[in-house]
Amino acid sequence: MQPKSIPAKKAGAPGAPVRRAKEDPRWVRLTLTGLALGIVGLLVVVPIANVFVGALSEGVGVYWKNLVADADTRQAILLTLTVVPIALVANVVFGVAAAWVVSRFSFPGRTLLVAFIDLPFSVSPVVAGLMFVLIFGLQGYFGPFLRRDGYAVMPYLLGGVLTLVAVAIYLLLMPSDVKRRVGFWKVSPWLVAILGGAALFAGLVVLQEGLGVWPKNQSLKIIFATPGLVLATSFVTFPFVARELIPVMDAVGPEEELAALSLGASGWQMFWHVTVPNVKWGLVYGIILCNARAMGEFGAVYVVSGHIAGQTDTMPLRIEKLFQEYNLPGSFAVASVLTLVAILTLVAKSKLEQHLPSATTTPGTEP
Amino acid sequence: MSIIVKNVSKRFGHFAAVDNVTLEVPNGELVALLGPSGSGKTTLLRIIAGLEVADEGSVLHHDEDVTSYSPGERKVGFVFQHYALFRHMTIADNIGYGLRVRGVPKPERMERVNELLKLIRLDNFGSRYPSQLSGGQRQRVALARALAARPAVLLLDEPFGALDAKVRTELRQWLRRLHEEIHVTSVFVTHDQEEAFEVADRVVVMNQGKVEQVGAPAEVFEHPANAFVMDFLGNVNIFRGAVEGGKTVIRPSELPPPDSGRQATGTDVYVRPHELAIEHRRNGEAAIEAKVVHVNPTGSRTKVELKAVEFDQMILAELTSERYAELGLKAGDVVYVSARRAHVFTPTYSI
Repeated sequence: MQPKSIPAKKAGAPGAPVRRAKEDPRWVRLTLTGLALGIVGLLVVVPIANVFVGALSEGVGVYWKNLVADADTRQAILLTLTVVPIALVANVVFGVAAAWVVSRFSFPGRTLLVAFIDLPFSVSPVVAGLMFVLIFGLQGYFGPFLRRDGYAVMPYLLGGVLTLVAVAIYLLLMPSDVKRRVGFWKVSPWLVAILGGAALFAGLVVLQEGLGVWPKNQSLKIIFATPGLVLATSFVTFPFVARELIPVMDAVGPEEELAALSLGASGWQMFWHVTVPNVKWGLVYGIILCNARAMGEFGAVYVVSGHIAGQTDTMPLRIEKLFQEYNLPGSFAVASVLTLVAILTLVAKSKLEQHLPSATTTPGTEP
Repeated sequence: MSIIVKNVSKRFGHFAAVDNVTLEVPNGELVALLGPSGSGKTTLLRIIAGLEVADEGSVLHHDEDVTSYSPGERKVGFVFQHYALFRHMTIADNIGYGLRVRGVPKPERMERVNELLKLIRLDNFGSRYPSQLSGGQRQRVALARALAARPAVLLLDEPFGALDAKVRTELRQWLRRLHEEIHVTSVFVTHDQEEAFEVADRVVVMNQGKVEQVGAPAEVFEHPANAFVMDFLGNVNIFRGAVEGGKTVIRPSELPPPDSGRQATGTDVYVRPHELAIEHRRNGEAAIEAKVVHVNPTGSRTKVELKAVEFDQMILAELTSERYAELGLKAGDVVYVSARRAHVFTPTYSI
């Protein structure tokens, strides 16, 4: 009987009549490996290297000037650095909430919710941008109103959002021990929400009507302005955090959270002491992917931005514009920044992937 | 503190997990909820803990209605089947967590943690992580964590279910001794009748969301309230038989015709393997002629598998090793089996 594992060297040796089911002939392996390496090299490595070559073709000095001296480019970088963090924060809040709901509760429509979370992945970004134009654009549903007296929505919008936030904080901070719920905590949460919300709304109305914090009878620009960019970017990157967190939270399971509750932790304590440490690598992973996608988003942003130079151009839009103007070193310079972000993302991603499975079996590398 | 469960029901969709259960756990007792999977025992335990909300009914601690209390307010310690230790915290942090969220200052907390580490005999393990411990050690940590805040009630959900047989036996005895030391009212869920009998003061047998019988282990085993309890607690032979003139008769070949006008009192007769006697010669009328199929002499009792000659049925009997040696049984022997004791249950009909 021959030993089962034969060194790979001998696999294709002539005269070896034993065919091992697990090993392909050497020429198959060499061809496939060569093909894979060749394709990756030709389609990925060479073009990426070329971006840096093109950007630096006229020297480091020109490269730097291309990045910072051009006011429009500077504005584009600044705009991207404004839009992306807002979209990130929105998507982290949404993603954590959605992953929580999907992995911890069962309710009618749960599968539908998961499907809708995935929707932005399957919709073309251009279509996504168009959707927002159709809602908020001049010819859209809210267009005429937003144009006439757009800022009138502020008390409603802010009032609603702030009330929700306040209710969430109230519920999380409520002591889990009935005996410690004295004074303020004895009031019914519904009463607090309704009265608090009403008071908040009244305050905001006073701010608007009496003090004129927000301009009256002026159009509130969403499309062709920063809010539109934030909306479009958020929509397109919306699934990343939730999609990363749902499997991690499913794998970790609710038992540790229940254990924390049974030991007397409040919802807030449970969330920070147990849930967040258990899913932190998944969360960071999601944020990194979300960030990469948000910075590079082109299609949706292209539609809603109206590409006004120096105002609504984000970095990818700026690259395209510079390219159209035959300013190749300039466009390559901005492109190199995005490419660098991509490479960093890749490195961070592969580092994090080592942590991800360990999130369910062993503790992290904390001291 | 005693626990009283009053008319508690819980449904998942159309499935009644717990169906109108009323139960009292006296102060300081160790009670086992015993039943097959799906009998609602874990759901009932979670309702007592506040981890699950009952659709109907109430849960009382002593005389305080805690139905609307959150798990933290109920002063319960809960031990999960798969430990549910916080994987990113050290053993010491795990054990001290209940005190930490209650705002106990660190020195005091550490003192209690060290005391508990000693109790579970893991003194030097405080700075390790759960993944570095064996299953049995983890379960002890889970128990210490549940006990840290001095709960009034300790609830354990299949605490030894995920452990191997030897560790399980050790931990059982340890839990028993621990309970004798600290005397906290405890309820534990198990599907293993041996475990329930060994550890618990009282056993609650559950089936299909209902309580079938409550009693001391010996009482439940010796006097099962109904056919389910009889069948669930250990091996049992079920014969077709009847009660005639105050005697139990096993007569498989004389089943009454199904459409006879007068209802014959045919019923199932339950006999435990150790309640069967085996003879080489026919000894009385009730004896069943049977052929020995297999003999398993390992363990303190010899298990004999037989097949009834007249009516194709497998019979399981248990003999003491002395009796086995006396009889000198081997496969293929034809013997006569009779019951020293038989259980008959009047079927209950629900309208």
